Amino acid sequence: MQTLVFWVLFVAFVGAFAAQVASRLRLIAAAPGRFTIDGIGGHLQRFVVDVLLQVRTIRERPIVGFAHAFVFWGFVAFAGYTAVEFLRGLGIVDLTETRWFFAYRVILVPFATAVLGGILLLLIRRAIFRPSTLGRTVSIESIVIALFIATLMSTFLLGFNLDESSAAGRVNWWVHMLVILAFMALIPASKHLHLVLSPVTVFLKSPELGRVPNLDFEKEEVGLEAVKDLPKKTVLDALTCVECGRCQVNCPAFGAGKELNPKTLILRAQEALLAGNDAAKLGVVLGEKELWQCTTCGACENQCPVGIEHLPMIVGSRRGLVSNGEAPEYLAGMYNNLERRKNIWGLGYDQRQKFVTAAALETFEPSKHDVLVWLGCAGAFEADFQKSLRSLFDILRARGVRFGVLSKEQCNGDPAKRTGNEYMFQELAAANIDELRAAGPKKILTSCPHCVKTIGEDYKRFGYEVEIVHSSVFVAELLRDAVPARTPAGGREAVTFHDPCYLGRYAGKVDEPRELLAKFGGDGVDLREPVRNKDNPYCCGAGGGLLFADKEEEPGSRISDVRFKQLQETGAGTVVTACPFCSIMLKGAQTSAPANTIQFVDLMTFVNSRRDRVNG
Amino acid sequence: MILVIAEHRAGKLNRASWEAVAAAQQLAAGQPVVIAVLGSGVGSVASELAAAQVQEVVTLDAAPLEPYTPDGFTTALQQAIDQLKPALVVLPHTYQTRDFAPKLAARLDRALITDVTGFKLDAPGAPRFVRPMFQGKLTADIVPEGPAPHIVTIQIGSFRADAAAKGASPAPVRALPVTVDPAAVRQKPEAPFQEAKQAVDLSQAERIVSVGRGIKEADKLPIAQGLAAALHAELAASRPICDAGWLPMDRQVGSSGQTVAPKLYLALGISGAIQHLVGMKGSQTIVAINKDADAPIFEVADYGIVGDLFEVVPAMIDALKQT
Repeated sequence: MQTLVFWVLFVAFVGAFAAQVASRLRLIAAAPGRFTIDGIGGHLQRFVVDVLLQVRTIRERPIVGFAHAFVFWGFVAFAGYTAVEFLRGLGIVDLTETRWFFAYRVILVPFATAVLGGILLLLIRRAIFRPSTLGRTVSIESIVIALFIATLMSTFLLGFNLDESSAAGRVNWWVHMLVILAFMALIPASKHLHLVLSPVTVFLKSPELGRVPNLDFEKEEVGLEAVKDLPKKTVLDALTCVECGRCQVNCPAFGAGKELNPKTLILRAQEALLAGNDAAKLGVVLGEKELWQCTTCGACENQCPVGIEHLPMIVGSRRGLVSNGEAPEYLAGMYNNLERRKNIWGLGYDQRQKFVTAAALETFEPSKHDVLVWLGCAGAFEADFQKSLRSLFDILRARGVRFGVLSKEQCNGDPAKRTGNEYMFQELAAANIDELRAAGPKKILTSCPHCVKTIGEDYKRFGYEVEIVHSSVFVAELLRDAVPARTPAGGREAVTFHDPCYLGRYAGKVDEPRELLAKFGGDGVDLREPVRNKDNPYCCGAGGGLLFADKEEEPGSRISDVRFKQLQETGAGTVVTACPFCSIMLKGAQTSAPANTIQFVDLMTFVNSRRDRVNG
Repeated sequence: MILVIAEHRAGKLNRASWEAVAAAQQLAAGQPVVIAVLGSGVGSVASELAAAQVQEVVTLDAAPLEPYTPDGFTTALQQAIDQLKPALVVLPHTYQTRDFAPKLAARLDRALITDVTGFKLDAPGAPRFVRPMFQGKLTADIVPEGPAPHIVTIQIGSFRADAAAKGASPAPVRALPVTVDPAAVRQKPEAPFQEAKQAVDLSQAERIVSVGRGIKEADKLPIAQGLAAALHAELAASRPICDAGWLPMDRQVGSSGQTVAPKLYLALGISGAIQHLVGMKGSQTIVAINKDADAPIFEVADYGIVGDLFEVVPAMIDALKQT
């Protein structure tokens, strides 16, 4: 009789689970495009690190993260136990009397205890402390799920003290099994669907941060315009979101009080998908303002523990808007500059030539030179950044590195790519790739982290692969054998380093700049780390075309002002930068800030001006 | 005969028309000059133009010519040119001219030289025209070929409007018969509108005095205002000044403000961050005053004064008052 009742309940609840999951899988199946795997190694590594080891969950919030990890590892450990109990309940086979099962149960005791401890901690956090990242209202369903999990573990532990055949024992067993069934029925319509989807989502996430596939103009692709255009991975992302808010707390736009909240963006997409609003415009569903407030710093995507890729959706939607002539007005000027002068400033190329001549730079030839130095829009035209490039040239010349530059160099296309002007990006990329192929460098050196990402990663999609390194990495290696010798006269110098997003987060280069600061600052340097540093820096506000944005169109503070304040709070008198755009933004923020004596210096100038203190 | 095409909007004459008249008079070398004005009910504009020392002013008056359309203007001007047979047609290089002059030249199959800044007369009636190339990096001398009339458009500001010679008595005004079939005008213009966002249109200013962080305090702004008043210039600023609310946002010059190209741009205490430079690099003459001799503003300045603006500016105001 009990077996029959269990069968009925099993079919009903598992059926409810399957039907709901199937309706969501159909959304993914109906979405355009296909899932891509870019070398299985990177995907497997991510799966092991982020799913099995829970690194991304733990890293940012260790206590909560471990609590979650205990629950996760417990769930995995309990899989066999649950299967055995279901087989018994359904009257198929009873393995509970075997010796190995008893051993298994004993082994599960510490797991159950850890899960219980973990879930109670999470429950208290959610119900009592209510962190703002989890949303303003307490999610009742999360409380129920947490209580379910606590019940499962309690009934499991209680099972050791109860006689299986007694009434209390039967009740205990039934409670355990019913909770599992109810749990399954509850999962698909809630954020707990991540239990099912996130291992897949994490596995499918691109190993390259901020990978936004090229548009194929032959196929008349114009970017994402409506909900029905969202590609498979984005739909999977939207359904996987666990609403933890790591993207939200790390988003510089959200932090500066703008409308953009990456979590809200994902949930809006999810809502529209589930409601079947296929024809709804993404500019309306996600919000045009929000879409244009993203600096493409990559923090949301990089911090997400369930494998969501925000940038393809944001940049994809921008492409849809740009294709329909709905880009913000400030971009029109920049696009015009790119189109007519092939640089973001709209300056004439004679000015680049002037700098090339003044700095006595040679045109690159593979037989004469070891590396090609890519100047970039800033290096070619901005007086301030040219000074730091001259420092780099001094260092290279002192060490006998033979380098040259391209005679013709256009903007690498980063501002066009990130703002969704794909057509212009591909034009610029194609022209540069032609020049680079003709010049044939084996290694490119640049001081601009955006150039590193665009030339090093995005150009690969056109079949052009080259090693491109940031000056901090190149110079750190070049001067590794140099020995700090002299300690400067005068007091210690408090210095802070602002990691550029495209260097620290995208390229993962965080040690080399610090190595240079330590070596060339010597004993005199007191390196003070700001909040948000290394591979999770707070953006300067320049990326994603926002260098050109107006202030008055947006609420909140400027992102650059927020970052400047964070750097100021280290108490350092010198801020070292390693990206021309960070430097422009932060210096701009400084002039708007209350009077202060902070000095900005580019890393290369910092190194060059202190070379005499070092033997080498 | 040289034909000048005057431009007006709703009866208000565009100042550049007088510059075109001045250019035509200097090119004429004895030839008569005729001014044509197009529109509907253009009598008052015509009589205003009649003050010029010209042979006559002709009106091309037809309902379909108001408001301006490239189809309407090209049709009317083709008829006028057939009747008047000028050797040269001179237009001010305005946005409107840029819109229809190529069409007119193509319709007539005649040479068109745009954005002319000057000319050299090798012989009477055989001018070589000068026009900038490559964003003004080079100038080219161009001699039009083929049958007359040749069409030239004059860069605004290249000739002085007040150099246009005025006649002792008003020139005769004559209506030239033209027929424009409204059905043949394909463009249906909407009412022109000005974007309301910018209350101050700095792009039209001839002179701009721009202030940067070097002014230090809002209380010191009157120094800059004094210089602007003495120069009859508009006051503008770099980002920090507008950020601080010392001047309204619509006076900001730079990549996130307005792009300007005045004849004179005076930068007071502006260091010259690239976002500011790209907003004013097109200025004809840039004068920078800054304490820091290494400031990037001096890279683009035609004249640089390394000094304290609180000393230099009052001295400039005094000097201007004496002239």
